[in-house]
Amino acid sequence: MKKIILTISFLSLLVFVAPEVSAQCDADEHAEACIPNLKEGFNFVKSYEIDGEDGDRNKVEYSYVFAKGTQYMLNLCSGSDDTDGIVVSLYNSSRKLVSTSDANGKLYSAIAYPCNATGIYYISFTFKGSSKYCGGAVLGFKR
Amino acid sequence: MKKGTLILMAAVLLYSCNSEQGSEEQAIQDSLDNVTVEAPAISEEVISDIVQQIPSPLEISVLIKESGSDYDKSILNDDDNASKYNSNYSRALNLGIYGTDLGYTNIYEQNQDAVGYIGAVRDLADGLNIGQFFDFSTIRKLATNSSNLDSLLLITTKNFNKINAYLQDQKRSDQSILVLTGGWIEALHVTCKVYEKNTSNKTLREKIGEQKIILEQIQLLLSLFESDPNIKELGGDLKELQTAFDKIEIVNTYAESTFKEVDGVLVIEDNSTSTVNITDENVSEITRITESIRTKIIN
Repeated sequence: MKKIILTISFLSLLVFVAPEVSAQCDADEHAEACIPNLKEGFNFVKSYEIDGEDGDRNKVEYSYVFAKGTQYMLNLCSGSDDTDGIVVSLYNSSRKLVSTSDANGKLYSAIAYPCNATGIYYISFTFKGSSKYCGGAVLGFKR
Repeated sequence: MKKGTLILMAAVLLYSCNSEQGSEEQAIQDSLDNVTVEAPAISEEVISDIVQQIPSPLEISVLIKESGSDYDKSILNDDDNASKYNSNYSRALNLGIYGTDLGYTNIYEQNQDAVGYIGAVRDLADGLNIGQFFDFSTIRKLATNSSNLDSLLLITTKNFNKINAYLQDQKRSDQSILVLTGGWIEALHVTCKVYEKNTSNKTLREKIGEQKIILEQIQLLLSLFESDPNIKELGGDLKELQTAFDKIEIVNTYAESTFKEVDGVLVIEDNSTSTVNITDENVSEITRITESIRTKIIN
């Protein structure tokens, strides 16, 4: 009887804890794994964690000062072959859209931006049909 | 704040006793380190967002090398100075300065000098109890071989990013901002010095003018920690620099961008432009004020 109670207690615990565990997002790990994806010649600058908190958060945003004459590259990683619905969009300091990875009917995992206007840019990550709402990205630059 | 004021007064009193100069200075520095810094009026998250904006000084080092300028160690802070920095304030600022110098020596593949700067960074990081984030043995190993440049740049950038994140997690954003400020001042100083020898280089001149945007962000960050007398003074010094930058105009013209796919990468074609209106007189003024602020920091 004691064994049965223990087993039931253990299984009940699993039922409550398991969704928590599966929902955990190791965005840092995704960002780290993304570094080798930077194309040759690009110097690593920053990594970004993208945690959509299981769908509770619909946007994760960072900003960076991009400089004229410098080419930047943003790579997205989600732990799978595609971006798992993660979209990156770039906005200028006036919040005007510069570009988005949601283009040509697909979601690109890498965008390159040869900057022609120095200023603060917003790097905005959103989700489009994502299953895990979790990923990482890296920013690199080259002259 | 009351506690901070009392500690500060005690430090001043101690100084006025005029006994052994060295130990007194240390006592004052220790007291200033212990001054309670009031929590900033905005959240750590917002501070972190602004900190994230500041570009890596490495971008400027790459630009300088690309301009064809020769490597010049004399414009950098001497790595032997590291032992002089005994307060957390000066350690944090000079950690940033040495970080930029290390990046500069790495970009120019000056292995011997890089080893000296790695030592300086290690000493200051240890002094701030953040030495655990620098993998010094790996960095030193990579620095001795020019073919490891990419790995070296990657690991040093990652280490500095980790420091930033850790300091912010530990509610030590003031120190994180000082590291960042030191790194930025050194990058501006190096750019100004290189430009002095190459005044026909329009890209370098514009790069100096563009720093107006960064300075505004740094001033904003420093203003959040003005309850620290050291930071307040630094902010005051940078205010003078900001006045010089106020004379520079950055004109942005927006045009919708286009894009194309190249090897699976979405390549944006930026049709917007920015123009920096800056004269040689503006650069001279910025160079002079930057030099004066930097001299105060490194001595």
